Amino acid sequence: MSTAGATLAGLLLVILLVSNMFLSKKGVTSSPICPNGSISCQVSLGDLFDRAVKLSHYIHSLSSEMFNEFDERYAQGRGFITKAINSCHTSSLTTPEDKEQAQQIHHEDLLNLVMGVLNSWNDPLLHLVSEVQTIKEAPDTILWKAVEIEEQNKRLLEGMEKIVGRLHPGGLGNELYSRWSGLPSLQLPDEDSRLFAFYNLLHCLRRDSHKIDNYLKLLKCRLIHDSNC
Amino acid sequence: VQSGSKWATAAQHHAYFYPLLFSSESFSNLSTLPLEMSSPKLNTGFQERSGQPPGKPELIKCRSPEKETFSCWWKPVSDGGLPTNYTLFYNNEGEESFYECPDYTTAGPNSCYFDKKHTSLWTIYNITIKATNEMGSNISEPHYVDVTYIVQPNPPVNLSLALNKHTDGKLYLLMNWSSPPLADVRSGWLTLEYELRLKPEEGEEWETIFVGQRTKYKVFSLIPGEKYIAQVRCKSDHGEWSKWSSESYIHLPKEFRLKDMMVWVFVAVLSSVICLIMIWMMGLKGINMVACILPPVPGPKIKGLDAHLLEAGKNEELLSALGCQGFPPTSDCEDLLVEFLEIDDSEDQQLMPNHEKGHPNKNLKSGNKETDSDSGRGSCDSPSLLLEKCKESRIPPAEFQTPDFSETQVKAAGKSSQETQNRDPELKLPDFNSDGVKSSTWPGTQLASSQIPKGSYHNIVEVCKVAFSAMNVNVSAIRMGNEEKHPSKYSKNIETICEGEMTQRRKGESFHSKAKADQALQWLLPNEKSPFLSDKPMDYVEIHKVNQNGALAVLPKQKENSDKTEIYPIPGTTKEYAKVTRVVDNNVLVLMPESRVQGMPVFQEPPKESAQSLHQSQAEKNMSYCLTAPSEFRLQTGGLEYMDPNSFMCSFK
Repeated sequence: MSTAGATLAGLLLVILLVSNMFLSKKGVTSSPICPNGSISCQVSLGDLFDRAVKLSHYIHSLSSEMFNEFDERYAQGRGFITKAINSCHTSSLTTPEDKEQAQQIHHEDLLNLVMGVLNSWNDPLLHLVSEVQTIKEAPDTILWKAVEIEEQNKRLLEGMEKIVGRLHPGGLGNELYSRWSGLPSLQLPDEDSRLFAFYNLLHCLRRDSHKIDNYLKLLKCRLIHDSNC
Repeated sequence: VQSGSKWATAAQHHAYFYPLLFSSESFSNLSTLPLEMSSPKLNTGFQERSGQPPGKPELIKCRSPEKETFSCWWKPVSDGGLPTNYTLFYNNEGEESFYECPDYTTAGPNSCYFDKKHTSLWTIYNITIKATNEMGSNISEPHYVDVTYIVQPNPPVNLSLALNKHTDGKLYLLMNWSSPPLADVRSGWLTLEYELRLKPEEGEEWETIFVGQRTKYKVFSLIPGEKYIAQVRCKSDHGEWSKWSSESYIHLPKEFRLKDMMVWVFVAVLSSVICLIMIWMMGLKGINMVACILPPVPGPKIKGLDAHLLEAGKNEELLSALGCQGFPPTSDCEDLLVEFLEIDDSEDQQLMPNHEKGHPNKNLKSGNKETDSDSGRGSCDSPSLLLEKCKESRIPPAEFQTPDFSETQVKAAGKSSQETQNRDPELKLPDFNSDGVKSSTWPGTQLASSQIPKGSYHNIVEVCKVAFSAMNVNVSAIRMGNEEKHPSKYSKNIETICEGEMTQRRKGESFHSKAKADQALQWLLPNEKSPFLSDKPMDYVEIHKVNQNGALAVLPKQKENSDKTEIYPIPGTTKEYAKVTRVVDNNVLVLMPESRVQGMPVFQEPPKESAQSLHQSQAEKNMSYCLTAPSEFRLQTGGLEYMDPNSFMCSFK
């Protein structure tokens, strides 16, 4: 009888925990410093930008490492780089190409661009995580980096939305987005073609994450430190 | 042709005449034929053949110092003896046409510099180099460059070192520098991180410090008086480290800290004061320091021996002063010797000193002395030294009475044995002043010595003492090691040792033929067996049985001599000592058999007889002894307490 009672107690406990988890909607989250909507307690814009810059820096480091690992392991001697010209899906978004252009563009537009690029990468990152596991003998480092990048990208997006909400409560208007249609190429039966598809995707990811990082650092210095970093 | 505009050129090699062919028309104007001949061209290197086309050029590296411009360098190739021209072509990602390098000079020889206008980020440049000479040209492999990933800044500049004082008075080094001039950090286009390195001028290893994005740094833990060298470098956030900047120097001043001086002054003053006080105290007390440090060497002196008498030649008087009549010393000297063989472990426990105190065993006075002989006192080895050195130790010689086995030795022997427990960590045999701590050897030794006939006392004393002094160390060592375990053995060992010595001198004396000797003492223990003497030497008894009260029936130890009693040594039997748990009725000792007692020996009848005879013969004396003994016994609770079984033999009367 005692064992039955213990089992029942355990079951009740489990049910309680699970229900709690579902009720709180998220698995484990830290309670926010400032609940949404209260004006008196707010994270400063500077802090928001600091966090965003940290995230973008981290994402680019991961992308860079991932690309280098893939290049070393799978792309040697295949001449992938010659083919990876103008092959990024985000190239339709015209982004500043040097410092002058970046300094001339209005920060709203720059923010818009950043949001557009980030949004455009949501989908590809998701599929990257699932497809990279199908690569023959994919090392663990590549696998977990893909997962990490995908996760951090979502966080960065949330942070950027907060920043945009602070700076332009009415929204940015023209929402930019580039659709990615590279999934079939990731699933090609031909190994060589498939590997090139991955190479291309990783190469574009590295580039775009650097762009975002650079733009955000520019914006931070311009908006928070008044161009006096 | 004069009217013509073009020159007809003909290269000539190794020829000195050249036939000119003219048409008939032009021939008329031959006189005005302009002719030019260039000076001969000297070939460097003697090749009769023509130059070769150049080798394949190779791009070494491309670098951007600030993410706004970039340069590329290539390796010059073997030019085949002819001047080689290099051209760089590049193609932008997304553009079809190739362009030539805009600037071949700014970045040095064999380089191409792309200024801001020609630099685009996040695009791949396809760069090729073409080497051309007269004979041909050669094109390098295409090199793909994205400016984003080739950023390597110039080193930081204006590294300044300054010494400042902190709020709490500590000195620190403040390092300041500025970013390289071309890098645009203020707008945030370029993000730089810095790294410092420091070392003392004489040092070998640099200490590298990562600073982050700041341009100043404080260094605290520096050695005063040293000269330091410092350098700084920087890196773009996702790029490469720059070269180290030029060295900067700083010389730290030697620190004079008032606090340190004060401490030393204070210490000096204090020590001098202490010294003075000590000297003054010693002066007050009249202690002669010199005498203390360098004690005068004592002249040889025998107490009681008057040097003058010796000079006078009066031997009789001289020797009488010693208390000895004639030489070798007679038994009278025993008194003298005994006098200084006092073992005193406590004030109240006056173990009979010598023959002064009334002791029930008066007749055993000599026995006292005999027992004394076994008190292995290192300082009292020789009779001559006894007088001088044996003041300190006070051995109650009376304790060592009961030499006779037939005479019960209640006495103090038991008491002293009681007191001498193995717990004494102090191994100095001569010193028995520690309370209640005596070696258990004493009882044994007492007993052993008691066996010695009086006449041979001196010899035995000497011998035993020599033996003991010799084995003093050994005993100590052994006692140390085996204190807890086999105290009885020690006593026996020493006893047997002395016995052994005695037998050497006096054959015919009987003593323990068998004694358990520790290994270290074995050498001292000749396993001799001598016939049992008629002196009835004191002996150990073996526990025969235990009656209900805890009284033990003891049996005299077996002797080889069948004269006395037929007691045969049981091989391998350990001597058994009993633990005194309490005293009952003032004269009965309740004993607890020792745990390691190997069981009661079961003797044959002869031992029983002897035991009985023993008891009877000792009855009278036992009574008296028993009566007095308990008062002298000092029961000690706890620990191992061994006593001479003889002393309580009366308990089972």
